[in-house]
Amino acid sequence: MHDLSVLRTAVIEGEVQAAVAAAREALDAGVEPLELVGEAIGPAMAEVGRLFEEGDYFVPELLMAARATKEIFAILRPLLAQGGAEPMARVVLGTVQGDLHDIGKNLVAAMLEGGGFEVTDLGVDVSPEAFVDAVKKNPVQIVGLSALLTTTMPAMKITIEAFRAAGIREQVKIIVGGAPVTNKYAESIGADGYSETAAASVDLARRLTGTLG
Amino acid sequence: MNDQQWNTLVSVIRGEVLCPLPTAFIIDSPWLPNWARHTILDYFTDERVFLEDNLKAIRTFPETMFLPGFWSEYGMCTEPSAFGSVSMWGEDEFPFAKKVLHSPAEVEKLEKPNPRKHGLLPFVMKRLQHLQPEIEAAGHKIRFAVARGPLNIASFLMGTPEFLEAIKTDPELMHRLLDIVTDFLVDWIAYQREVFPSIDGIFLLDDIVGFISRCDCEKFATPYLQRAFAGDVSVKFFHNDAPCKASAPLLADTGINLLNFGTQHTLADMKSWTNNRIALMGNVPPRDVLAEGTPDDVRRSTTEILNALDDHSRLIVSCGGGMPPHAPTENIKALISTVKEWTR
Repeated sequence: MHDLSVLRTAVIEGEVQAAVAAAREALDAGVEPLELVGEAIGPAMAEVGRLFEEGDYFVPELLMAARATKEIFAILRPLLAQGGAEPMARVVLGTVQGDLHDIGKNLVAAMLEGGGFEVTDLGVDVSPEAFVDAVKKNPVQIVGLSALLTTTMPAMKITIEAFRAAGIREQVKIIVGGAPVTNKYAESIGADGYSETAAASVDLARRLTGTLG
Repeated sequence: MNDQQWNTLVSVIRGEVLCPLPTAFIIDSPWLPNWARHTILDYFTDERVFLEDNLKAIRTFPETMFLPGFWSEYGMCTEPSAFGSVSMWGEDEFPFAKKVLHSPAEVEKLEKPNPRKHGLLPFVMKRLQHLQPEIEAAGHKIRFAVARGPLNIASFLMGTPEFLEAIKTDPELMHRLLDIVTDFLVDWIAYQREVFPSIDGIFLLDDIVGFISRCDCEKFATPYLQRAFAGDVSVKFFHNDAPCKASAPLLADTGINLLNFGTQHTLADMKSWTNNRIALMGNVPPRDVLAEGTPDDVRRSTTEILNALDDHSRLIVSCGGGMPPHAPTENIKALISTVKEWTR
C-alpha cells in the first residue's frame, strides 16, 4: 500500500512542487485518483482548515495549500472523469456584482476543492444573470456568493431573487460569505447558509448537500 | 482636530487617565458623505462638500474627536494611483484600484513615484491647501500625515491573494516591492509634513498586517512600518482591524503609540499583548452594533467593554475599525454619552 503521508504533509505545508510530485508518484504506484482525494487531499485540507481556525495558520499558508491542491486537481480531474467518478457535489462561486475583491472567494474555492467538491469560479463582479446562466448550463448543487463591501451586499439578495425569477431557486442551495456578511443578514435575504470562514464552508456545503460524514 | 483635542490625544498616549474618558472615531468616505446626504463621488470631487461634511460631523458631535480629521483621501485609490493604478469610480460606491503588477517578476520594472507629481496625490494636497484657511478658521488644524501602509499598498498593486502568495514563493521580490513602496511612503509623509507644518502625527492604515503570521510580520511588516513611522512626531497611529494577535506584540517597537483594531480581540487581551505600551482605540462592534444596532445596543456594548477592563489608561473608546457605513447619529451619540456617564 502506497504511503500517502508525504503527499498529505506537502499539501499541509504548501509545498506545491513536492505535493504535485507526490501525487504523481502515488498515481504511478497505482493509487486510485478517488483514493488520493479521500485519503490524502481531503484530510490535508481539513487539517489546513483546522490550523487556520486555531490561529496557527494564516492566509499565506492557506493560499499555498490551496495552490498545491489546485495543481493536483488539474492532474486528477481528467482521471476522475475518465473513471466515471462523481464529485461530492458541484459548486459555482463568484463575487457579486459591483465587488472586485476575490481573496475570500478564492480561499473558499480552494477549501471546497480540497474537500472533494467540483468548483466553477465565475470570478469577480458577477452579475445575477451570469450566476443563473452558469447554473442553467451546468446544473450544480451549491451557489456561493461572496462580498467584501457593505455596499455590494445587496447584490446577494438581488442574485437570490434572480434565481427565484428564473424558476430555479429550489434546485440549488445558496451560501453567502464575506467580511461584512452575518448569519442574520444571510437569513434575511433568504440564503440557505452562511459561513464565517473559508474553512467552515466545507462543512456547510457538506451539510447542505447531505454529504457530511 | 483642535488644540484641546490634540492635547487630549497626546495625554492619553502618555498614559494619563482622563475623566471623562475620551472617545474618538476614524471617519472617511465609507461613512461621512452618506451620513451627510451626499454621494461618495460628490464628496471626492467637490471641495465644498468635503469641507461641509467634515464640519457638519464636528458640529454634530462636539464631544468626540475625529481622526485624522479632514482626511483628504480617495478611498483605496490614493497611493496606488501614484504607481499608475487605474482608479474605478461609481457615483456612490467605494473606488477600486486596479492592480498594476501581473506577476512577481514585474516588481523589477516598478518605479518609485514622486508624491508631488504622480496620481491623485497632488489633488489630495491641493484640496487641503485650498481649504486650510477655513479649516483653521473653524479652530482646527491638519494634524496627521496619512497614508495606507506598505503591505496594503503592495496588495493593491499586485492583488491581495497574489501578494500574500508571493511572500511565500518570491520573498526577495516582495522585499523589493515593499522597499519601493516604503521609500515612496517616507517621501509622501515628508511631503505632507513639509506642506503642513502643523502635522505632528503619522497615521497609517494596513489591514494586510493582520493576515500574516508573527514570523512573516517580523520579516515583511515591522521593518517597513518602522521606516514609515520613523518621523519625529508625537502621535504614531496605526489602524488594522483584521486580526492582531500575531502583530500586536511587535507594534510598539516600530514606534506605533496609538492603535485602532477590530473586534476579534478584547481590549484586555490587546493591552496584554502590547504590554500596555500602545494607547488603544476600540472596540465597540462597528457593523453589528454601531451601524445596525439600536442606541440601547450601543449603550450595552459600550458599558460591557468598559466594565470588562480594570486599567483604563491608554484607552480611547471607539468602534473596532473606522466609522462603518450607515452608522446613525443617535448610535454615535449613545456611545459618546455612555462613556461620559460611565466615567462620572
